[in-house]
Amino acid sequence: MLKKTVIVRPELCVGCMQCMIRCAEAHSHTKALASAIREDILAKPRIHIGVGPQNKPFPNKCRHCEPAPCQEACMPAAIRSDIAEGLKIVDPARCIGCGMCAMACPYYVIRFYRDKNAPERPGVAVKCDGCHDRVAAGDVPACVEACKTGALTFEDVNLYLKEGTNRLAHAAYGVRS
Amino acid sequence: MRYVVVGLHAAGRRACAFLRRADPAAEIVGVDPAPLPVYSRPLISYALAGEMPPEAMTVADDAFFQSLGVTLARERAVALDVGRGRVGLASGREIAFDRLLLACGAGPRPAGVEGPLCHEVCFFRGRTDLARIMDRVQPGGVAAVLGGGLVGFKLTMGLLARGMSVHLIVASPRPLALNVDEYVGDWVGRRLAEAPGVTLHTSTSVHEVEAGVARPLGLLLNTGERLEVDLAAAGKGVVPRIQWLADSGLDLDQGVLADGYLRTADERIYAAGDVAQVPDMVHGDARINAVWPVAVEQGRVAALNMAGVRAAYPGTLAQNAIPVFGSRLISVGAVNPAFTAGAESVEADGPRGSYLKLVFRDHRLIGAVGLDAPPRLGELAFAIRRGLVRRDIPDWWLHNPKNAAPLAAPGGALTGNARLG
Repeated sequence: MLKKTVIVRPELCVGCMQCMIRCAEAHSHTKALASAIREDILAKPRIHIGVGPQNKPFPNKCRHCEPAPCQEACMPAAIRSDIAEGLKIVDPARCIGCGMCAMACPYYVIRFYRDKNAPERPGVAVKCDGCHDRVAAGDVPACVEACKTGALTFEDVNLYLKEGTNRLAHAAYGVRS
Repeated sequence: MRYVVVGLHAAGRRACAFLRRADPAAEIVGVDPAPLPVYSRPLISYALAGEMPPEAMTVADDAFFQSLGVTLARERAVALDVGRGRVGLASGREIAFDRLLLACGAGPRPAGVEGPLCHEVCFFRGRTDLARIMDRVQPGGVAAVLGGGLVGFKLTMGLLARGMSVHLIVASPRPLALNVDEYVGDWVGRRLAEAPGVTLHTSTSVHEVEAGVARPLGLLLNTGERLEVDLAAAGKGVVPRIQWLADSGLDLDQGVLADGYLRTADERIYAAGDVAQVPDMVHGDARINAVWPVAVEQGRVAALNMAGVRAAYPGTLAQNAIPVFGSRLISVGAVNPAFTAGAESVEADGPRGSYLKLVFRDHRLIGAVGLDAPPRLGELAFAIRRGLVRRDIPDWWLHNPKNAAPLAAPGGALTGNARLG
């Protein structure tokens, strides 16, 4: 069970795409933007700013569902939940790029690109890995670090749910949180 | 409580995991004659093409079942006594059950050919079939593939990668006729016709297999033509393994009939995977969609229901994703022209060279097919499950499928839990 995760508040997003840049940078080999853009296999962002209704930006990333439809559809068991607790992470070494996961994901968060960890494949599934290595080192995910408007925050799931409960109570009964 | 799971592949393996999760104290017995480790059957086509070693097909080994506390009976189930609640095994042993999951899968559909060497036609269903084909593969040789469905297509691609030239013999007017629409079917047909080493025979079938002169096999076609080949392999669909259930009293049709909770005619017995014939989300009647994701999902839903956690199964949905000549082809629901005659279809404006078509019947979304399209077919499959209609798919989505926010975004038609402002 996830304790902390990236919470998305799309109403605060201004569509600056800094999260995409920092996500790609964090998943590059050199982990520095200036050198990352010169790598043979360019790192790709795992968060995308989609264009929503009324042209409003919508930060879109993997929800790490449980049970995850992508994981159920994955034939070579390349989408693993044993790498980091609560996260569904693609193992590029096992991914065959068949597209089954994209056929199952309701959120359009899986894309196919060449990956530095499986250079021989023309395309493997690329999606959010929760920046599990950064989080294990005590850092926050790269997209959260990049977001200056508070649209992406790294929060305790239970506290976030409590915030929703308080909002509901306020809307229904006029109770202040 | 003793749960017995017959068949430990896609559906059975997933069911074991969820039975254990839902009922930590239960006794779970898995019955399957196939040797461990459990492997992913659809991957045999990737192994044939040399894209992965056969051992990488493993998805569950002995340790997996041990960690779940599943007792394994490595035998074939041969009889089901519903009244006494027992499964009979090939050795004569019987296993009593409180809840039973039938996930015994399906075997290959016979190729429908005659002749003295008809038994030489290989199938392409599991690793034994893969080994049999690999024994006969000869770089520079000639192969015949019977059947223009997904399996036949993957066989063709695999044999080409192994250096053989391939005669693809398809009974329908175009390959993948059941899986894709006319546009994609024609595109695949053209690519096959242009591909070096492939000879496409449409509206053609093989009548007889006899000994060849220059090569081991001679195939007689309905067109009167005769082909000499080193290897013949068929991918003509599957037949559920229900022969052993004939006297059980369960409702059987093509497979074991199950309801919207994957329960069979007996409330203690459930069915999942390629053996289960359940209501189809698009067509309405009970069907078998023998594909991996459907089987895995059914295994989970059946396990939850067996353990008393009521979980509705929304219905089975045809879905497939395969790489085709370097392009990614994904289809969900009904897109086959025979099923969609008279239906409204809408093409999304994807990036140049991509193709994404949505099919609506009576305004309801019933299918979608994409060729090198932005990979959002999962979103459309979800939309089919939710019963989205034409007006729910907004223009901003159709005009910009590459960058449009998902339909599940706030304001989108799939928003299930709209945020309170």
